[in-house]
Amino acid sequence: MASRSLTVKQIISRVRQIFPSLPEQYIITLINDALLEIGMYRTKVEYAKATTVADQMWYDLSDSGSGIEVNKVFRVDFMDSDGNYIKIPRLIENEILKMDIT
Amino acid sequence: MASTKDHPEETVAYFIVGDKLAIITTDGGDASTVHNRRGDFKAIDEAVTNGVLIHYYAEPNAVSAITDTPDVDNSMHASIVDFVKSKLYMDRAGSDPNLTQPSITLSQFHEKSFIDSLRKHGSRKRDKIGGARVIKTFDFNID
Repeated sequence: MASRSLTVKQIISRVRQIFPSLPEQYIITLINDALLEIGMYRTKVEYAKATTVADQMWYDLSDSGSGIEVNKVFRVDFMDSDGNYIKIPRLIENEILKMDIT
Repeated sequence: MASTKDHPEETVAYFIVGDKLAIITTDGGDASTVHNRRGDFKAIDEAVTNGVLIHYYAEPNAVSAITDTPDVDNSMHASIVDFVKSKLYMDRAGSDPNLTQPSITLSQFHEKSFIDSLRKHGSRKRDKIGGARVIKTFDFNID
């Protein structure tokens, strides 16, 4: 842990200088709201792997369905025949002729 | 299964609609096929275990215990205090009529402090790129 990190306990103690009787759980809820807001500003980079299914076009990125919490995808790689991940291009015009619903 | 694509950068692409990721390919059959020719965009045509690697900006993990440390850069930790105080002063403004105006003022002060930290200095705080920048020119040597 970095020497100047704040734990939740330390944040609560700073808040309680002004609001001494506030329930701990409520402050934790507000801290999580703050984290959600900060998360919008590209602070945390993560990677995830997905398995493709033959002839299936769509893969879930939703927070509840995919098991990962994605704010923005900035790169996608696909495995080549040697097992290496190679960057694939993003299609700007996504109105393709043959659109699957699966 | 393993991939059979030698150059996926040439034959596989992706796009995103809402919270769905589409993986498509231009591989396909000959001209006799119906909308399945090579060059037509269509769903990825093979099952590859862990075949897709997604790089993304993620949401920080939530905290649940007082011993937790917020899952963001420590430069943003003090800003969390501002965010919490901003919300609490706004709560107080709504619950105590005698303190409405000063509470709103303090709420706005802390909100501005949080937003300034996040947006005005945000890139500096979150960006860890450093060092002198140099321009690498083309190599003019002709072999």
